[in-house]
Amino acid sequence: MGPTAKDMDALVSRGYEHGFVTEIETDVIPPGLSEDVIRQISLLKNEPHWVLDYRLKAYRHWLTMTPPAWASVHYPPIDHQAISYFAAPKKKPTLDSLDDVDPELLRTYEKLGIPIEEQKALAGVAVDAVFDSVSVATTFRENLAEAGVIFCSISEAMHDHAELLQQYLGSVVPHTDNYYAALNAAVFTDGTFVYVPKGVRCPMELSTYFRINAQNTGQFERTLIVADAGSHVSYLEGCTAPQRDENQLHAAVVELVAMDDAQIKYSTVQNWYPGDEQGRGGIYNFVTKRGDCRGDRSKISWTQVETGSAITWKYPSCLLRGEDAIGEFYSVAVTRGRQQADTGTKMIHIGRNTRSTIVSKGISAGEGNQAYRGLVRMAQKAENARNHTQCDSLLIGDRCGAHTYPYIEVRNPSAHVEHEATTSKISEDQLFYCRSRGISEEDAVSLIVNGFCKEIFNELPMEFAVEAQKLLAISLEGAVG
Amino acid sequence: MLLSIRNLKAEVDGKAILKGVDLEVRPGEVHAIMGPNGSGKSTLAHVLAGRDGYDVTDGEVLFEDQDLLALAPEERAALGLFLAFQYPVELPGVNNTHFLKEALNAQRRARGESELDSVAFLKLVREKMQLVSMKPELLKRQVNAGFSGGEKKRNEILQMAVFEPKLAVLDETDSGLDIDALRTVSDGVNALRSPDRAVIMVTHYQRLLDYIEPDFVHVLAGGRIVRSGDKSLAKELEQRGYAWLSDGEAA
Amino acid sequence: MSAADVIATDVTRVLADGLAHAGGAAANDALHAVRERGAERVRALGLPERRQEAWRYTSLGFLQRADYRPFMDGPFSELQMSDIEDLLLEGHQGPRLVFVNGHYAPALSTPGRSGDGLRVSTLAASGADALPADFDQIAAHGHVFSALNAALAADGALIEVTPGTELSDPIDVLHVAVGADEPVIFHPRHLFVIGQGARAALIERYASLGDSVYFNNVLLEIAVADGAQLRHECLQQESPLAQHLDDLNVQLGAGSTYRYTLAALGGEWSRCDITLRFAGEGASAELNGLMLARDGQLNDVHLDIDHAVPACSSRETFKSILDGRGRVVFDGRIRVARDAQKTDAALANHNLMLSRAAEVDTKPTLEIFADDVKCSHGTTVGELDKDMLFYLRSRGIAEPAGKRMLCQGFAEDVLHNFDDAAMRARAAHLLDQRLARSSE
Ligand SMILES: Nc1ncnc2c1ncn2[C@@H]1O[C@H](COP(=O)(O)OP(=O)(O)OP(=O)(O)O)[C@@H](O)[C@H]1O
Ligand SMILES: [Mg+2]
Repeated sequence: MGPTAKDMDALVSRGYEHGFVTEIETDVIPPGLSEDVIRQISLLKNEPHWVLDYRLKAYRHWLTMTPPAWASVHYPPIDHQAISYFAAPKKKPTLDSLDDVDPELLRTYEKLGIPIEEQKALAGVAVDAVFDSVSVATTFRENLAEAGVIFCSISEAMHDHAELLQQYLGSVVPHTDNYYAALNAAVFTDGTFVYVPKGVRCPMELSTYFRINAQNTGQFERTLIVADAGSHVSYLEGCTAPQRDENQLHAAVVELVAMDDAQIKYSTVQNWYPGDEQGRGGIYNFVTKRGDCRGDRSKISWTQVETGSAITWKYPSCLLRGEDAIGEFYSVAVTRGRQQADTGTKMIHIGRNTRSTIVSKGISAGEGNQAYRGLVRMAQKAENARNHTQCDSLLIGDRCGAHTYPYIEVRNPSAHVEHEATTSKISEDQLFYCRSRGISEEDAVSLIVNGFCKEIFNELPMEFAVEAQKLLAISLEGAVG
Repeated sequence: MLLSIRNLKAEVDGKAILKGVDLEVRPGEVHAIMGPNGSGKSTLAHVLAGRDGYDVTDGEVLFEDQDLLALAPEERAALGLFLAFQYPVELPGVNNTHFLKEALNAQRRARGESELDSVAFLKLVREKMQLVSMKPELLKRQVNAGFSGGEKKRNEILQMAVFEPKLAVLDETDSGLDIDALRTVSDGVNALRSPDRAVIMVTHYQRLLDYIEPDFVHVLAGGRIVRSGDKSLAKELEQRGYAWLSDGEAA
Repeated sequence: MSAADVIATDVTRVLADGLAHAGGAAANDALHAVRERGAERVRALGLPERRQEAWRYTSLGFLQRADYRPFMDGPFSELQMSDIEDLLLEGHQGPRLVFVNGHYAPALSTPGRSGDGLRVSTLAASGADALPADFDQIAAHGHVFSALNAALAADGALIEVTPGTELSDPIDVLHVAVGADEPVIFHPRHLFVIGQGARAALIERYASLGDSVYFNNVLLEIAVADGAQLRHECLQQESPLAQHLDDLNVQLGAGSTYRYTLAALGGEWSRCDITLRFAGEGASAELNGLMLARDGQLNDVHLDIDHAVPACSSRETFKSILDGRGRVVFDGRIRVARDAQKTDAALANHNLMLSRAAEVDTKPTLEIFADDVKCSHGTTVGELDKDMLFYLRSRGIAEPAGKRMLCQGFAEDVLHNFDDAAMRARAAHLLDQRLARSSE
């Protein structure tokens, strides 16, 4: 699990030696951003006209915006003209089954810890793998089609499900929402579209693995999941990236819509390249994720395990509009080395009897710095709404930082908000106790940290929980001592 | 008649809990209500005291010929109805003595009686404290906040002793008491017994009935009083449990 | 941008007016320099905007409703003891310094003799004497109002408790505001220095005679030296039309103890900015506050607790009760600096909403850069507990009285920290009055 940076380099260069990339040659639009570039992207992707219009509208708005400065993360200004906004395989292979996928590619995924075959066999997971921004493999389509579930790339949806896409795209995160959301709306390359029809329980966990591969290519994924009345769906997102010297920008947008009685569970394990010990390289992960509980009794649950990226800036949020709607946010974030994370959630209670739960566990080691930033808003109409927030930070070492910035805005007296936060370190007593029972210091730390995060791991689907625990152990290797 | 409950039906969140309860209590009587967990005993007590959240869908409750259900909780208290809670509520920051005095005087005012001044009040409380052998320092503390389970129950009985209600409804006041406490609580109740007062005790244990001898024992099951008798019924329940009763009901 | 322009000109106008009014330079060079710096800072800062984090929830709309003028009449000499009789603390023995519209009123004050371990003077009277060494060394001047005070402060108490002294009685600093025909602004500025190992108690009070519009822009600097102890109790009962800003700056030496209790009850707009810095190891601070916000009132507390050195502890508990369209803002920040190991800090904020139209915005933040620390915060917002209310009613206490009792219980947590019995009684009485009025 979790290849080292060296493995990754070796892997990538071996890929070249073996003609790995010549088979799936990358077609890159030269760096730079302009209306022309956007038109070119749209043309290359053979998009309908309304998509181009949407992109241009977003781009023009983006030009009027400035990057957010309020988060407690620090990085040099990003030169958006130095980024290449499109990379696609020249030949898009048409795949009927997993067997048709390039075995080299499959091996790459395996090395990266993403054994599609195993996943398929073990868990019955449908996988829509994104390689350099464009989908190259989609499985389990038939099974899903039988249930009436649409699971495809956004590009496909533009043609095959134009009406649905047009109805929902940008309806949760408008292109005006924030700087990075606007950028994404202008240049999004591809992503995933899921539609679960009325009353359908999606027969399997849906999963997409992202991977950033080509140098200097920003990733602008876009995910849209619509759960119609009474439907249920669980979606898994995970990603890993090989080492690169230059910072790579990832500005994804995820939109979820849950209608009456619908439930969406969105789980993320994120372990992109965090940069080296000096803080060089590493991914900038600036993501806008928002769920809209439009229907009564709808439920959206975000679970995230964030161990990677040089900088993480994300606040998966819930708009609780329907009555009795439920929003949940469960998060584990690890920062070490020079990693910075500013993450949290927003729970906007609008409907009556809406409920939300926030559990955030932050672990800082080395010179890592992280902030929990959360907003709980009880609107005037949110009669009897409830929120409970628990924010715990664990500090490992004396050079790291942990910060908590909760914003609580209450406009309704019958609403109840409770917020608790604690900060602690792994105590000498705990470590000694473990060691006196024969457990090595490193294992003891891992044991204690896993205990600290238990509540969150319990929210993850089984196979993901195992992976997350391993990831946590790897990311904390050598953190103590 | 002090209290008469006729065909009382009540729901919580649309779920029927009391399904036609009939009960008559005359001054001077002690009634014990027993019954399986979840059968509606506390619900009955709460409906009598006027707690929100219960919909009375049918029936009536008369307290000295007045329509009890039309009254606010504080009006019921002033009339002489007292509920010792199964789970007494904690009131952080509210001083116990202050609370007792405010409550007593509010009841007295509502009845057109003169208020007790601090001296008279303290004298009364001290007297009653002895009756329930409560540690004096508990009076200086906040109402029930941080009290042990047994201390809370004693505090309820102290309130009862101070208010001298016409009808005391004791919801499992014996649960969680040690043997000495059970005795003092019983003494407190017995001291209150008089020809013009009555007591309804909700309990699960025969033992309490050894200390406070009931005139009647009722079994509340499935939202109805399924059996009434004298204290020998309690002995029978102790031996045979409740199943034979509800089986009989179902048949 | 026109609205912002109106405000911006307003503050520079206030500065210009104030400077013109002050008439010439301060007698004291050091004070003159402080004023110059203040004026520069006012010009540089301008009025805060909502975009600034510290002003995100604090509306400054009142600046557009009233045009504040400097208070022209100098020390308000007309007032007599009989006018402030109601404001005197029962049984108070210690020194009393009364400030009327920001100016020291000798006729109303009993400062006691200097000596006996206590040095008392006033800013206006300091003349050519050297200012205490700590003057202007503690204030952070984080916003324009503090800078405005620095530029324009005409008077205030300068109090030093000499090392090792144990004062038996608290020092009462009473601010009395007397309405003028037009809205006025004044800038009292105080310094309290508690010498090494000394013990003292300070009472800080704000009251008004009559309901008028004024802006009381206060600045306090407090230095508690190594091993010293200060008990600081503040009761704010400004006019319901007044604006009140209390910029409190505290610096704690090694092993010192500071205990602050606040009852912020009055004013139309009231804000306390409390900046507390641990400058020496092993010190401890306890801050408790009660805030009331009735209809149309904004009550705001900002805390900035800087655990700059190791092994200090702090406890902050702030509670609010809101009614009508009352608004409460609480922004509490605890910062633990790198290497400030063994810090122990706990921040709590609890808000009780009695009305449908009230608003609470609360932001308890932790910024932690050391690992061996114990830090926590807890926040709740909600209405009165229904079970509690039912319990009271089942004991014969009607709903309005029951609500009052529960509110008093809620406030008790803070009010019991008033060591001074007269202060405690006053605060409780004022709370009672307010609750009685709001349950009508
Ligand atoms: N607020 C409520 N919401 C939903 N159900 C309730 C509520 N209050 C009571 N009930 C249900 O009503 C039934 C009767 O409850 P009640 O408390 O009256 O039982 P009880 O006879 O006092 O039981 P016990 O002997 O355990 O005290 C239970 O099934 C309980 O779960
Ligand atoms: Mg019960």
